[in-house]
Formats: sequence, structure tokens, C-alpha cells
Amino acid sequence: MDDLIIQLILPLVILQLILIIVALIDLRRVEATRGPKWVWILIIIFGNLAGPIIYFIVGRKG
Amino acid sequence: MQWQTIYKKEMLDHWRHFKWIWVPIVFILFAVMDPLTAYFMPIILESAGNVPEGATIDIPTPSVGEAMIMSFNQLNMLGVLIAVVISMGLISRELSTGVYELILSKPVRYSHYMTAKFTAMMTLLSVSIILALITGWYYVTVLFGDLAFTQLLTSAIFYIFYFMLILSIVMVFNSFLTSPGLVAFLSIFTVVVLNAFTSIFDHVITWSPMLISDYIGTYIFSGEIETDLYFSTGIAIIISLLLLWLSIILLKRQEMH
Amino acid sequence: MAIMSANYLTKTFQGHTVVDDLSFKLEPGKCVALLGPNGAGKTTTLRMLAGFIKPSQGNIQFNEEQFAKDIRHYVGYLPQYPVFHNWMTGEEFLIYVGKLAYLSKNEAKTKAHELLDLVRLSDDKQKRIGKYSGGMKQRLGIAQALMHDPQLIILDEPVSSLDPIGRREVLNLIRELKKDATILFSTHILNDAEEVSDDILLLNHGKLLKQGAIQEIHSQQETKTIYLAFQDEPKFIEERLKEFNSVFNIKRENTGFAITVHDVNEARAQLLEVIQSEGWNLTKFEVLSASLEDIFIKAVTE
Repeated sequence: MDDLIIQLILPLVILQLILIIVALIDLRRVEATRGPKWVWILIIIFGNLAGPIIYFIVGRKG
Repeated sequence: MQWQTIYKKEMLDHWRHFKWIWVPIVFILFAVMDPLTAYFMPIILESAGNVPEGATIDIPTPSVGEAMIMSFNQLNMLGVLIAVVISMGLISRELSTGVYELILSKPVRYSHYMTAKFTAMMTLLSVSIILALITGWYYVTVLFGDLAFTQLLTSAIFYIFYFMLILSIVMVFNSFLTSPGLVAFLSIFTVVVLNAFTSIFDHVITWSPMLISDYIGTYIFSGEIETDLYFSTGIAIIISLLLLWLSIILLKRQEMH
Repeated sequence: MAIMSANYLTKTFQGHTVVDDLSFKLEPGKCVALLGPNGAGKTTTLRMLAGFIKPSQGNIQFNEEQFAKDIRHYVGYLPQYPVFHNWMTGEEFLIYVGKLAYLSKNEAKTKAHELLDLVRLSDDKQKRIGKYSGGMKQRLGIAQALMHDPQLIILDEPVSSLDPIGRREVLNLIRELKKDATILFSTHILNDAEEVSDDILLLNHGKLLKQGAIQEIHSQQETKTIYLAFQDEPKFIEERLKEFNSVFNIKRENTGFAITVHDVNEARAQLLEVIQSEGWNLTKFEVLSASLEDIFIKAVTE
């Protein structure tokens, strides 16, 4: 049972981590965001799955 | 040549903005979320321990077909939503910022501009959908039992044409509005209205493209493709092409001042 | 032969006529300034000439061809507020735009590098356009307009949003370009027009008020000004000069006198004669043409 959980959940956790990292890389690169950047850092890291998605959709400016 | 130039530039745009990473990942997470929760729900409830003495938890485990349909349903809701918001600014944002004026001052054919953008986005969405459904299928078969891979792949291909219809609706609003938010709102509103309309008259308009995912569900259970699935998909393709044609005409009439 | 002729151009937006029955020709190799106050219809005119919007009436002809193809092939256009794909580099953008205008990949690359040199952006070609300054964007905008070797270069207010240094750079660039291209640019800053253009078109309320070579327009003016300055101010000079029938008005300025005259040649002779016979020690004698600004204001307010 535990093996199965790790086997199935771990890849998802990795994907979620990739999502967070990519969002943070993008945040570092862009010149301007809607609202302060530190707020976006919090949203991306603690916003669960929705955090990075919301950042990618509305975070960037221009 | 010109068409390929725009297509390649759009693909580069999607890549530079990490859409090629985040959209497939998000679609994959959507596709596995529900089957996984359904499987682990009894265990979670049990371990939570707040079950009264003597009560037995009796949540029926879904069948393999039901679990697979959960993946489709998630994409039907959240997947469509993401597809709309990532394409809401494809043209409308270029109209509002003025990039459009610079690009279209070159001898660019409006049909090239529109269809290359459409196809590039469709490429991204198709790849995301296929990857998501294959991952969903893998989880479902591990947890719930066997389902033929070809059956899943066939379903996924039919399903892509449903997204083609959604994207062509978004392109119509893109071709005459300059606010991406309004494009997204009106597109989603249209999809909701079409869905409601279809569910009220579903015994009459059995060919409605909005029923594609329902027919895919039937196919997953029975293993046989009904003519209704071919029919509604065919209608989806025809309407998509008509809407694209309409959006090219609307874009040509667009005058900035 | 004119490279372009605009015939009876009219543009109406929702019942409101923005450009009204405009006709003119552009000669090859000329730099023409389209002048007019804000809202005169300059941008709409240029957008029609760039093939970007269609005239409600009238037509645009290139090289006197009867059945013209898409006029965007002939024109390089810089909008008033050029906006780029900020995520692209300057070099990528130029190559992209070149390929849109049917250059091959290699042609586009060669041309892009040539133009990046011309507009002095070679050092920044790998930078993302989002990081460019206003002046750099304007120069990139000019470069993109030139990518497909257009017969006519149209620039909409190319310098008005720039700081003095950016403005100087772009004006110098225009001066360089006019050596071997036909340029039409709009501006509401008359100095710019006077500095780089050969001909002007003066537009107000969508109508063409004046057109022609700058010198010609100057010489058409009825009155001119002669400016005189002296070492010591001569006595009774105003009274003496007023006697001449060629003198229309005398205005005392800080360092001398601005004398408005009807006939320059007659006035020059009379003035020089009296100066010599009275022995006034003249330090400055200058015939000023009416400034473009005077002409502009006169034409617009008439």
C-alpha cells in the first residue's frame, strides 16, 4: 500500500514542484508584475496548484 | 512560408512564456486528481478516525470506466477554462497594445495571421490533452483495472476536436474585441449557454458537439463507437472552420482609430 | 513620374469625416512633412497610405499602376506608438518582420544586420526589446519599416515622443535615409519639418490647405521681415523709415528692429540707401522669411 502511494504520489509532487520552480524563474525574469513581486512569491509557493496557474495567467504585466 | 513564419513565432512565444511546460503539467494534474481522490477517499476517511463506533464506511469503488470519465470531466471544466484564458489575448492583446498595427503593416495575409495563431495554440492544447489523458489512463489502470490503451487514444483524439471548437469560439471574440478579459468572459458564457441549451434539448439535438464528452463516456464503457460520436465531432469540425472563417472576416474589418 | 498618388481620399468613421477629399502626389527621392494640428487627420491619412485601413472613397496608386497589388508591399510604416513583441530580441524581431514581407531567411538575416548597423543597435541586438529605451525602440521601429526595401517610408510622428537626444538621433537618421528613399512623415513640430523635409503638406480638419516645396511656400508669402541692428541707435530712425512706402511695420526688439516689408527688393534698396547716406553704423542686415510657424498658424486659423 505505502509503496503504491509513493509510486503514484511522488511523480505528482515532482510535477507540482516543477510548476512552482518554473513560475519563480519566470517571476525573476519579468520586468513588471501586477502587484508587488513578493506577494506573487507567496502566492506561487503557498497557493497550492492554483498559485502558479494564477501567476502564469494574470501575474505578468505587458 | 509566411504562414510557417507566424506559426514558428507563436510556438516560440509559447515556449518563452513557459506555456509548453506549465500547461501540460496542469492538464496532467487535473486528469489524475479525481481518480486518485476517489481511490484514496475511503482510506483517508478511515485514517481521519472520526467515524462513529460500529459505522461501516461504504463508499463504492468506481469502475475503471467511471474513473477514466472522471479525468475527462476535470478537463471538461478546468481544462476548458485554462484553454480559454491562455488564448484570450492571442489577438485582442495585440490589437489593444498596437503590435498588430506594426505586424499588419507588412503584407501579411489576415487568414495566415489568424490560422497560424490558431494552429499553434491547437498544437499546445492537443499535446497537453494527450499527455494528460495518457497519464490519467495510467493511474486509472493501476488503481482500478484494465482499459485498452487504443480505446483511450481514440477517445483523446475525438476529444481534441471539442477543444478545437472551444478555441475557434475564443478566436471569434479575439477578432473584434480589444479586451482579453472580455474575450474570456464571453467565450465561457457562450460555452455555458451552449451546454445548457444542449442539456435541455439533448434528445433533439443529438449531434451537438457539447455531447462529445458524453459520447466518449459511452464509448469507454461499451468499447463501441456510436454514430452520434462521429456525427457530433463532424459538426464540431464544420462549426470550427466556419467560426475561423468568420473571425478572419471580422479581423479584416477591424479598423483602429 | 510620381511614385505614389493619392486621389480624392476620404475616410469616414461612423459618419464623422476625418479625411476629406485629399489629393496629392509624392515625387521619388523627396522627404515630405505632413503638418497639421492634433486631430487634423494625419494619422488616418498615413494609415490609409500604408494600406492599413481602407479609404471610404478615392484610391491610392503606386508607380501609376492601374491594377495595384496590396500596397503594403511598397510601404514601410512606423506607427506613432510602435509596440513590439517585448519578449523577442531586436534581431529576432527584424528577421521575423522581414520574413513576413517574403524575404528568405538569409535575406532577412543579412538585411537585419545591415539595418541594425544603420540605426546603431548592433550592440543591443541580442537584448530583449522590453529592455530597450524609447529612443532605441523608435530606431528599431525605423529599421523594421525598412526591412523589405520599401519604395516609400511612412513615419507617423517619429520624434514627438522622444527626449532631445533621441530626437536628434532620429532626425539625423531621417537625413541619412532621404539620400536614397522617399519619406513621408507627420509631425506637429514645425522645426522638425523645416530641418529635414523638402516639401510640406499642410492638413487641417482632414483637408489639404497647402502643399509644395518649403522655399516655394516661403516665397509665396506676401510680407517679409528685414532685421536691422546698429552699433549705436540712430536718431529718429523709426520716423525716417516709416516714410518708405515699401515699409509696412516697424517693431523694436532687444537688439534691433524687425521691419515688415511688402516688396523685399525695393525695401532692401531703399533701406541700404538711407543707411549709407545717413552714415548709420550698421552691424546686421538680414532678410528673414516668415517662419513656417507663421504660415502654419495663418493657414490653420484662416
